[in-house]
Amino acid sequence: MGLNGGNDNKGLPVMIARRGGALALVCLISAFVAGCGETPPPTPAIVAPAVSTDQLVGKWGFAAYHKDTDRARTAKEAAAQCNRPYVINKGPNGGLMMNMADQKELSELVLKAGPDGQTYLGPPGPPGGADDRTVTNVDANSFTTVWVDPDNASRYGTSVYVRCGKR
Amino acid sequence: MMVRVGLLLRVALGAALAVFAGAGAGAQTPGQDEMNVVDQPGYQPTPDEEQLSGAYEKQEVFFRTTEAPGTIIIDTKGRFLYLVQGNNRALRYGIGVGRDGFTWSGLQKIARKQEWPDWRPPPEMIERQPYLPRFMAGGPGNPLGARAMYLGATVYRIHGTNQPQTIGHAVSSGCFRLVNDDVIDLYDRVPVGTKVIIRQAVAL
Repeated sequence: MGLNGGNDNKGLPVMIARRGGALALVCLISAFVAGCGETPPPTPAIVAPAVSTDQLVGKWGFAAYHKDTDRARTAKEAAAQCNRPYVINKGPNGGLMMNMADQKELSELVLKAGPDGQTYLGPPGPPGGADDRTVTNVDANSFTTVWVDPDNASRYGTSVYVRCGKR
Repeated sequence: MMVRVGLLLRVALGAALAVFAGAGAGAQTPGQDEMNVVDQPGYQPTPDEEQLSGAYEKQEVFFRTTEAPGTIIIDTKGRFLYLVQGNNRALRYGIGVGRDGFTWSGLQKIARKQEWPDWRPPPEMIERQPYLPRFMAGGPGNPLGARAMYLGATVYRIHGTNQPQTIGHAVSSGCFRLVNDDVIDLYDRVPVGTKVIIRQAVAL
């Protein structure tokens, strides 16, 4: 055994110790990053909105009201506005081409299921954002929207869309 | 958010331009001081905003005319509506005059009166603001305001507004608009059948 041999003999435990330390470090980092030995938290299930894009595509009579007592006659007025309909087409990415509040240009909007069970319509992103509107009372020939943003909701009230030409 | 800021900026800029251009209300020329303000359906002004001051505040004035008491005379250039009282007096209201209001003058009668009228934006407005509903049920915040008085068989009318800042100016839409308190006051004073004379200018 030379000088090196003595060093060689001492080298193994040192290496093991070093490797063990490295292993512990890796485990520690892994534990920090991923929760070593624990089940990762469940990712929230993506729920499909209750309303489909195809249900909203078409030509619509479009009217609005602020007082619930005006709802019935507003729906009638919406139906009477089909000579200048609001047209909703499908967008290039499968969304709906519609106007945002106060915007002349169309944007591609998507339907989103909210955790509160509501269906939201707005730009891609979490449901219930300021640029979203809720979609309710959907049937084959009508639907209703209300802006999430309080200022928009106050100004535009409740919007009623009545299909031009029944399905 | 940016859109709303943009809208407010447009309104503020329009108001600033209109105030600057409208310094001499009696010497205005239609089109020169048009207030570049878009309709704000649903907007509800505060009482302070609705309180007019100066020349456009409702007031009794000297007014020499041969027209019978109860007649309405609209001075589109001066932005005033006069309700003749007799004895060379008239009640004067400040008004905003829409583009349509400048295109005609003449004699009409109030054919119909309506409290809290519904609003149907005209086609050219829908073209400019396609996001607007084609019908909005009457109520506070409605661009036609608290009352409307329809002139003859025309599409013109005297109405209220939810944009009191437009009084004294030419505006892009509508006919003859008063703040809601004034239009309610006028509405209560004049019956259907009231004679309405529209003039480009009124000589006192």
